[in-house]
Amino acid sequence: MASQNHGLVMENPTINEEIQNLIKKVLAHREFLLLIGNCWITYKGRASSQLEPGERLVVIKEDGSVLVHRPNGYEAVNWQPPGCIFRSRVEDGVLHITAIRRKPTESLSIYFNLIYLLSAMKLKDHGKFTLYASEEDMQKAILLYPSILEEGFKPISYEKKVEPGFIDVYGIDKEGKFVIVEIKRKAAGRDAVLQLSKYMQAVQSMVNREVRGILAAPDVTKGTQRLLATLGLSFKPLNPRKCAEILHKSQSLKLEDFF
Amino acid sequence: MTDAKLLRDMFQAIAILIDEATFKLTPDNIQLRAMDPSRVAMIDFLWPKTIFDEYECDQPQKMCVNITEFLKLLRRTAKDEIIELTLNPETARLQISITGHYTRTFNMPTLEPQEEETPTPKITFKATAKTTTEGLRQAIEDAQLVSDHVRIEVDTEKLTLNATGDLMGATITLKKNSDALLDLQTQEPSKATFSLSYLAEIIKAASATSEIATLQFANDMPIQIDFHQPKEGKLTFYLAPRIEVE
Repeated sequence: MASQNHGLVMENPTINEEIQNLIKKVLAHREFLLLIGNCWITYKGRASSQLEPGERLVVIKEDGSVLVHRPNGYEAVNWQPPGCIFRSRVEDGVLHITAIRRKPTESLSIYFNLIYLLSAMKLKDHGKFTLYASEEDMQKAILLYPSILEEGFKPISYEKKVEPGFIDVYGIDKEGKFVIVEIKRKAAGRDAVLQLSKYMQAVQSMVNREVRGILAAPDVTKGTQRLLATLGLSFKPLNPRKCAEILHKSQSLKLEDFF
Repeated sequence: MTDAKLLRDMFQAIAILIDEATFKLTPDNIQLRAMDPSRVAMIDFLWPKTIFDEYECDQPQKMCVNITEFLKLLRRTAKDEIIELTLNPETARLQISITGHYTRTFNMPTLEPQEEETPTPKITFKATAKTTTEGLRQAIEDAQLVSDHVRIEVDTEKLTLNATGDLMGATITLKKNSDALLDLQTQEPSKATFSLSYLAEIIKAASATSEIATLQFANDMPIQIDFHQPKEGKLTFYLAPRIEVE
């Protein structure tokens, strides 16, 4: 790891042409850019949104993704996925950065009239991230040991694309019925149930046999049980930690380990 | 093609690992390379166009079919019946005509092909054994009596299968130049442990298409099993080893 990073740090810079050129250069070189200040934001695309002026943190990452954080809450209030194209300019003391995505067409415009902190630098990060007991672990555990979901369950595929998204695991139960499995690593709520129900409808329209939906999660939130019953879906308690343990004990390597 | 049985046997071998298979069709051949859902085993299959009595394909394309559903239709073929497969790219349906004393034509939907290309494992093998598929199948069935996994060891003289179960153990030895082990080339003695259920299913299904298999090993590496095809073509399986727990 480098002991020092000669990045740029500016406190309370005046927003002028100099800043415009600097921001253009930083974005062109795909440096990690951090801005804290007073800003307002408009988004146009699949929907549209407006964020009134306020003090916030804006991060533009090296891959062209954007995050806007308010002083509270862990989720970004506005964001853009990697691969954005940026346009920037300064007009009447306001820094204007627009992140554009072609497909789907959407744009996020950020306007700063005050900047408290501006920092830009190239960051090195080659560390591997390992999350234990993730949804992926639960998925793998079900694929390797289908009986943890249900006796006689036979998985066919995973991350299967259907119209509204991707089905976590799908397969056939011991009676030959189609089974769609939606996995959640935390207590599953209404959203998860409705998502599963959408997949069911999508699959139902493609196959001419009975389709079942199973929600696999450690627990369901209050009231969700009734929604499950109404929609004819079932719930299978599955603990992510236990899945991780099962995988740990699993003794077969993957062919991918040898590619 | 006139050999409907060969087609059926081959699809039965594919069905061991794959439920939805994406075939690559080119003007010269038909190929399939895919892993099973748990990503422990892989099939690598190729038929040149000469396998078929007639084969027409103008440009490379992909075709994904549900193998189980396809096999249901193939099971309706009798010996010496002629089978004709036609892919209609507009309706995305596969038409299957079987002609014997009478003709029946089925059609089935094709599925969205998988875009990702599967590489084969990169392994430097240290030993090569040529066996009869029947001998191999018997040896695996013996080992299955006592355990669900087997350690396969080779030295310059023999191939040994060691199975240890909760109660019983088994050692099966195939000597070089015996009726079961036709040839053995060992650069380095090697051993690796594999799941018996995978091995048994693969060997059972593939031996319907082949009399002789070539096995390649290296220490704790995947095993490669080539099932020699009497006509042309290739049917190879890879199986990842288990982690040795002593």
